[in-house]
Amino acid sequence: MAAVTEPVPQSPDQINEDILRVLEPPTPLYVLMVLLLATTVGVALVAFLYQTYWGLGVTGLMHPVMWGVYITTFVFWVGIAHAGTLISAILFLFRAKWRNAVNRGAEAMTVFAVLIAAMFPLIHIGRVYKFYFMVPYPNQRGVWPNFKSPLVWDLFAINTYMITSIMFFYVGLIPDLAAARDRVRDWRRYLYRALSLGWRGSGEQWRHWARAVLHLSGLSTPLVLSVHSVVSWDFATSMVPGWHTTIFAPYFVAGAIFSGIAMVITVLVPVRKAFHLEAYLRKEHFDNMGKLILLTSSVVGYSYGMEYLMAWYSANPYEQMSFWYRGFGYHWTSTWIMISCNVLSPLPLWIKWCRQNVLWMWITSIFINIGMWFERYVIIMTGLSHEYDPAAWGYYVPSVTELTILVGSFALFLTMFTVFLRLAPVVAIQEIKELWYEDHSSARAHGGHH
Amino acid sequence: MAQVLGLLSNPDDTVTAIHELKSAGFKELEVYSPVPSHAIEHALDRGPSPLRLWTLIGCLTGVSFAYFMQIWVAYDWPLVIAGKPFASIVPYTIIGFELNILLGGLATVAGLIFFGMFLTRKGHDAYQPGFSGDVFGCIVNCHGDQVNRAQEVLRRAGSTEVRVVEG
Repeated sequence: MAAVTEPVPQSPDQINEDILRVLEPPTPLYVLMVLLLATTVGVALVAFLYQTYWGLGVTGLMHPVMWGVYITTFVFWVGIAHAGTLISAILFLFRAKWRNAVNRGAEAMTVFAVLIAAMFPLIHIGRVYKFYFMVPYPNQRGVWPNFKSPLVWDLFAINTYMITSIMFFYVGLIPDLAAARDRVRDWRRYLYRALSLGWRGSGEQWRHWARAVLHLSGLSTPLVLSVHSVVSWDFATSMVPGWHTTIFAPYFVAGAIFSGIAMVITVLVPVRKAFHLEAYLRKEHFDNMGKLILLTSSVVGYSYGMEYLMAWYSANPYEQMSFWYRGFGYHWTSTWIMISCNVLSPLPLWIKWCRQNVLWMWITSIFINIGMWFERYVIIMTGLSHEYDPAAWGYYVPSVTELTILVGSFALFLTMFTVFLRLAPVVAIQEIKELWYEDHSSARAHGGHH
Repeated sequence: MAQVLGLLSNPDDTVTAIHELKSAGFKELEVYSPVPSHAIEHALDRGPSPLRLWTLIGCLTGVSFAYFMQIWVAYDWPLVIAGKPFASIVPYTIIGFELNILLGGLATVAGLIFFGMFLTRKGHDAYQPGFSGDVFGCIVNCHGDQVNRAQEVLRRAGSTEVRVVEG
C-alpha cells in the first residue's frame, strides 16, 4: 500500500484561508445536525422542568444513594474540562509545540464542558432557585456558608476554573478574531470587530499579550490540578468506604486529563475530516495525544489496583466489602465496563501504528469516554449503596428523567461546539503561523527550502 | 511628523529592519506582526510588560480577601465545635488559593485590556488587513527631512514595499 502523505500549508496566507474556510456559511447537513442536537437539548430541558415541578421524586435517588447520575455527570464534565488547560497551559509552559494545532479546540471544549458541569449541581439540588444558599452573601439572619465544607470549596474551585478558562480561551482567541475581522465580509465582521477589542498586532500589543498568556498559563497550571483535587475531596473527606482515601486527588486528576484528552480526539477527528484540516490536525498530533492517553491510562489503572490493594492490606472489613461489592456485586457490569474501557482499550496504543491511525484513535477515545463516565458512576453508586450497616444498604436505578438530562448534556456540549466551529477559528491561526515562520526561518538559515 | 511604512515578508527581515533603523538613529518605531515573535520583541527592546505587577497585585488581593472573608465570617456567626478555634486556617487555604488565582487572572486580563488595547487604541492609520495574514509592517515616525533616509534603510533591510503614510 502506497504511503499517503498529509498536505502541508505552503504559506501563512494559506493557513488563514484554510482555517477561516471553516467559518463559511453552513451546509444543509450542518444545519440539520444543529437542529437535531438542539431538539435533544430541548427534550432534556422539558425533563428538567418536569423535575423542577414535581421534585426529585421523579429521579431514582433514594436513601442511601442520594448522589446519582447528576453528580456522576458533574464529575465527568469537570474531568473533560481538564484537557484544554492541560494542553494550553501546561504544555505551553513545557514548550511542547505540537499543542499549537489542538489547543484551540481543546480550550473551547474546556469552556463548554465546565459550563455544563456547573449546571449539574444546580440540577441535582432539585430546588434550583435555592442555589444561592452556597454563595457567601450578607443576609438578615447573618448565617454564612461553612467554609470548611468541601461542597463550598467546590463552588469556588469550579467557578474559578470556569472564569479562568473563559479568560484564557478568549485572550488566545483575540489575534485570530482580528484575522477573521479582516477577511469576513458579512454581519460577523461587526461581531469580530467588537470581540477583537481593536487588535492590530502591533509590537506593543504582542508584548502585553505574550505576558498575559504566560501569566494565565502559570496561574492555570496549579488551578487545573487543584480543581479536580477539590472535586475528589467531595468524596475523600467523607467516611464512606471506598471514598476515604488519600489517593483520590491524584487519581481524579489523572482520570480527568485522561478523559479530557479522549474527548479532544472524539471531537476533533470529525472536524478534521469534515473541514479538510488534515494539514493542521496531523497524525503526529494524534500520536502525541495517544502517548498522553497511555500515560494517564497507566496512572488510572494503577490507582484502580491500589484501591483494591489498600482495601485488602488495611484489613478493614467495610473497605474490603465495598470493593468486593464493586467488582462482583450488583454493579459488577459497570465496574468491568470501566476497567475494560479505561485500562484495556488503550493498550493497543503502545503500538505506533495504532496511535497514528486516526480512526483507531477515535474509536479508542469513545471507549474511554464511556469508561470514564462509568468510573464516576461506580465510585458513587457502589460507595453509597453499601456503607457500614447492612440494614441501610440500598440500590439505585437511574430514572428516565435523569437519563434524558444526561443525554441532553452531551447534546448541549456538541451543540455549543458545533456552533463555535462556525463562529471562531477552531485551530489557532497565529500559533500555526508562528510555527511556520520558525520552520522557514531555520530553513533559510540553512540555505534551502524546508 | 511623517510616518514611513515598510512592508516585510518575515520576522527575520523585520528584526533586521528594526536593528538598522535603530543604528541609523531612528527612535520611534512600531511593528505590525501576524504572529508573536520573541526576536521582534527583543529587537524593539521595550523591557518587561507592567502586567507582571498587575498579576501580583491581583493574586495578593485575592488571597488576602479570601482569608479575611472566611475568618471574619467565622467570628461573625461563631459556631462552638468541640472547643476548637472558630477560624481554621488550613481549610481556608483552599478558597484562599482559588481566589488568589481568580483575582490574579482577572487583574491580568484587565491589565492586558488597559495596556494592550486602551493605551494603544490610536495611531493605527498605517494598519492594513495583510498584517493579520502574512505581511509584517515596520513604521518609523520621523521628521520630514529624515523620510528619504528611513525609506532607504527600510529598502535595504528587505522591505517589499516602502511608502509614506502621513506627511
